[in-house]
Amino acid sequence: MSVREWLAVAMFASFIFGILSGFPVAWVLGGVAVLFTAIAIIVEQDFGHFTGVDWNFTSLVTDRIWDLMDNWVLVALPMFVCMGLLLDRAGIAADLMRDISRLFGRMRGGLAVTVALIGVVLAASTGIIGASVVLLALLGLPPMLEARYAPTFAAGTVCAVGTLGILLPPSIMLVLMADRLAISVGDLFLGAVIPGLMLAGLYITFLILYPAFRPDVAPAPEHAEDVDLALVLSVFRDIVPAAALILAVLGSIFFGIATPTEASGVGAFGALLLAAWRRRLGRNVLRDVLRETTLTTGYLFGIFVGASAFALVLRGLGGDELIARGLLGLPFGPNGVVLSILLVTFLLGFFLDWIEITFIVLPLVAPVVVGLGFDLVWFTVLFAVCLQTSFLTPPVGFALFYVKGVAPPEIDIRTLYVGILPFVGLQLLGLAFIFIWPDLVTWLPARAYSQ
Amino acid sequence: MDRNVSAESASPVEALLDKVAALFSWVWLALIAVIVFAVVLRYAFGIGRIEFEELQWHLYAAGFMIGIVACASRDRHVRVDVLRENMAPRTRDWIDLYGILLLQLPFLTLVFLSSLPFVADSFSVGERSASAGGLPYRWLLKSMLPLTFGLLFVTTLSHLARVWRRLFADRPASDRE
Repeated sequence: MSVREWLAVAMFASFIFGILSGFPVAWVLGGVAVLFTAIAIIVEQDFGHFTGVDWNFTSLVTDRIWDLMDNWVLVALPMFVCMGLLLDRAGIAADLMRDISRLFGRMRGGLAVTVALIGVVLAASTGIIGASVVLLALLGLPPMLEARYAPTFAAGTVCAVGTLGILLPPSIMLVLMADRLAISVGDLFLGAVIPGLMLAGLYITFLILYPAFRPDVAPAPEHAEDVDLALVLSVFRDIVPAAALILAVLGSIFFGIATPTEASGVGAFGALLLAAWRRRLGRNVLRDVLRETTLTTGYLFGIFVGASAFALVLRGLGGDELIARGLLGLPFGPNGVVLSILLVTFLLGFFLDWIEITFIVLPLVAPVVVGLGFDLVWFTVLFAVCLQTSFLTPPVGFALFYVKGVAPPEIDIRTLYVGILPFVGLQLLGLAFIFIWPDLVTWLPARAYSQ
Repeated sequence: MDRNVSAESASPVEALLDKVAALFSWVWLALIAVIVFAVVLRYAFGIGRIEFEELQWHLYAAGFMIGIVACASRDRHVRVDVLRENMAPRTRDWIDLYGILLLQLPFLTLVFLSSLPFVADSFSVGERSASAGGLPYRWLLKSMLPLTFGLLFVTTLSHLARVWRRLFADRPASDRE
């Protein structure tokens, strides 16, 4: 390895060390990029080793930030964030929790299934792991614990379902991945639909079967009411407008009627109307939602800006060739290379959020995978599911820490570790299915084109 | 995520930036309106106008840049707090002090300085959209770069001053936190 490649490795190590200090991720990324530019200049001028990075090179970060500004695809991000916040403030999730749980009142594990269904329907509001996991924990944990569900079972359900939201379209993670890899957002959304629903199906099957064999984890409900027509109608009244809105957004993208950006803006408009129709849209609520959109967008793009600088300098130091050489030098076949990438991604997911991984790691490994003859949409979905699994996995899973922050005291970190294990197993099963049968990803986008 | 809702009141700079951010937050409503308007024009009347598409990303760019400043002034930028949770307040302050001096300020300075010629070039050639019917005054949007990073620099100095005060000026106050 050349000196500049050692610098690239040291740069990555400094970054991991830096973020563990608890200093804001955005500034660690940008700062490490500037620091290593200075080091590269010293190494080149004083020690005579070629590095290829100097101030002129790193100044290109301005162009990279401008590329983020001059970007019509990413306009969808704040719009989806805004739509999610509006659906949240419209109180739809709370109404769904109340009504669907009555619908499943007589079933063992019914509350857990309710949480899973809400997670799927409101995946739109849940592009951000923290937001979705916290929402479901606040909404789902108290009734499940009150119904004497095992805390491990209840906590595991909330973590797993909340994290599934980052995969199910409309997902801001997929928008960013598509933008970075220059593939179509619509294709990636379509590709993620079947794997996402498959994972949701695996979860729900588990949530129904497990209590059947281990009745103590979810005791039979004591005073369940009968399901009558009025109840069914009330469930429909809650679920139809929100579900219709999300289906309209996704449908218009899938059928090529609207671009993802247009769909996101119209979706936000629909959420605005929905909130107004439910009489939840006062002036104060609107102001709060817009300010929260600014702040959420701000911290996302803060990391984008920092990560742009970091990725620029890492590439300047030859990090991309280093990765390509390392991957292709592995003593495995093409499948082995993909599995190795997934394993490393899984481990990186313990420390890094999806944003840094999407900006820094994904663009480095994607060309290698494409060069090996794999489908990029398939690989990206696989990569996304792998990241999502990583966020669930102890000891550092992001989702677990978010839930820990809002959970009642009887749910300690051990409860979360135990509770999440079966879901990590299901995730790995899902990952294996997608790996073995790429059609799960590629079938739907191919159909959309054949029309 | 660490939300710094400390007992200390915001500095005048932070209070001002908060007001600016609140005002700029209305761009999201404007953005929704422009998108809906453009979609209606296109699908109902078959009129596709490039300036609406450009207006969309102009609004978005202004919104997210101000969002980065707003997050900085409220200390809402994402931190990994696995270890930070168990640190003493003074340890956190030391980390912030070194982080600001060694990482944050150098980065902000670099982007600020390199964005000046970027905007100047655009202004000197009177850069406008390359598309027919596109928006003029591209340098105006490009000016968001030095503006944002200048504001970030100022709000970071205000954060630095607070950390400095806690570490070196009033020890009793820092122990109370």
